[in-house]
Amino acid sequence: MLSRLVLRAAPAALRALPPPPVAVGVLHATRQLHTTQQSLAPLPPLPEKGGEVRHGLIPEEFFQFLYPKTGVTGPYMLGTGLVLYLLSKEIYVVNHETVAAACILTVIIYAVKRFGPDVAAFADKLNEEKLAKALAVKNEAIESLQAAIEEEKKEQWRVEGRSYLFDAKRNNVAMLLEASYRERLMMVYNEVKKRLDYQVAMQALKRQKEQDHMIQWVEKNVVQSITPQQQKESIAKCILDLKALSKGAHATV
Amino acid sequence: MNLSFFDQFMSPSLLGIPLILISTLFPTLLFPSPNNQWISNRLSTLQLWFLHMTTKQLLTPLNKKGHKWALIFTSLMTFLLTINLLGLLPYTFTPTTQLSMNMALAFPLWLATLLTGLRNQPSASLGHLLPEGTPTPLIPALILIETTSLLIRPLALGVRLTANLTAGHLLIQLISTATTALLPLMPAVSMLTTSILLLLTLLEVAVAMIQAYVFVLLLTLYLQENI
Repeated sequence: MLSRLVLRAAPAALRALPPPPVAVGVLHATRQLHTTQQSLAPLPPLPEKGGEVRHGLIPEEFFQFLYPKTGVTGPYMLGTGLVLYLLSKEIYVVNHETVAAACILTVIIYAVKRFGPDVAAFADKLNEEKLAKALAVKNEAIESLQAAIEEEKKEQWRVEGRSYLFDAKRNNVAMLLEASYRERLMMVYNEVKKRLDYQVAMQALKRQKEQDHMIQWVEKNVVQSITPQQQKESIAKCILDLKALSKGAHATV
Repeated sequence: MNLSFFDQFMSPSLLGIPLILISTLFPTLLFPSPNNQWISNRLSTLQLWFLHMTTKQLLTPLNKKGHKWALIFTSLMTFLLTINLLGLLPYTFTPTTQLSMNMALAFPLWLATLLTGLRNQPSASLGHLLPEGTPTPLIPALILIETTSLLIRPLALGVRLTANLTAGHLLIQLISTATTALLPLMPAVSMLTTSILLLLTLLEVAVAMIQAYVFVLLLTLYLQENI
């Protein structure tokens, strides 16, 4: 019968271990089916705290029940009277078990008083951690969505600036086109000039050659035409001129 | 009521109706079923936490096939723990002081582990009868010794639990009788004896929890060898 505890608790515990599909299947197969109708109405909210007890054992309602007739001390008188009755009439016999009972009760009461708050705090902490995990998931989802919204807004702002980007790009492209056009123009000019220079150089060369050739021919003919008679006469004339000059120079000195 | 020392170990009956079943099943009344709420009250939370912790502790050394035993181990643990602790209250009958019940728990479970091992991996199971690294001349003797140790396991399991709890309860009875007898004669010595009784009660609480844990732990160990 204690297996129902483990049956309910075990799937979560076994999920913490490396997953054994066989064992989980076995557990699910032995679960009880629904035996009563489920109530569809919203269930009433559960109370936050348990019932109030006095002295750890007796519910507060008992004291309230006796209060109208016997006042505040009523239940205590009843208790004392009952205990004394049991003891004096030896309905409850004091024997060795009484001492043993006293001991175990001391141990239990000490343990509850000493460790009770710690255990309660631990249980509350377990529940808090569960809640905190779920809240953390929710908060993370909210934060990630908000970050996504921010990103989206930024993207929209970026889209507005798109036109400037395109203008700049268009200018860039136009400049590139212009530059390449001019470059090609320059190339054409250079090529044409090269060809024209060639022609000019050819003509100049031709004229030069003609001139040279003509000069050479004239010189050749002149040299050929100088007869020896003429040569002698010219040399004699030169000597007479020189003499005359030298006389003139002597005179001046 | 004049109690002799062994009345606490007699199977309880009322007007001839045996109450042993009620006393054995009483622990189940003390555990609320974990309900379907996501966050429940402190008792349910602590109970769930305890069951999760116990299951994880017991099943971590086992491989996947051993996880089939999760249900029996954890419910056995809870059962023994509760019965042992409840037995410390005065005038209660502790079912685990009865050798019949403990043997009925130990023997079938041990036998199940043994047969699982012999069926699925016979050579490995038999191989456990010879520890590694034994010198050759000792092998025959050691096999006999290990077989004896294997066959005595269910007896040890049952008797360990019975003996520990019975001895504890008897000691409590004896020392409290001494206290009661000495109280009119030598109150000071009686107080000393009371202090001894307090310490013994603490010890018995510890022993109750430890014995339950040891019982189930040894069964998981036997299962580890054989599965």
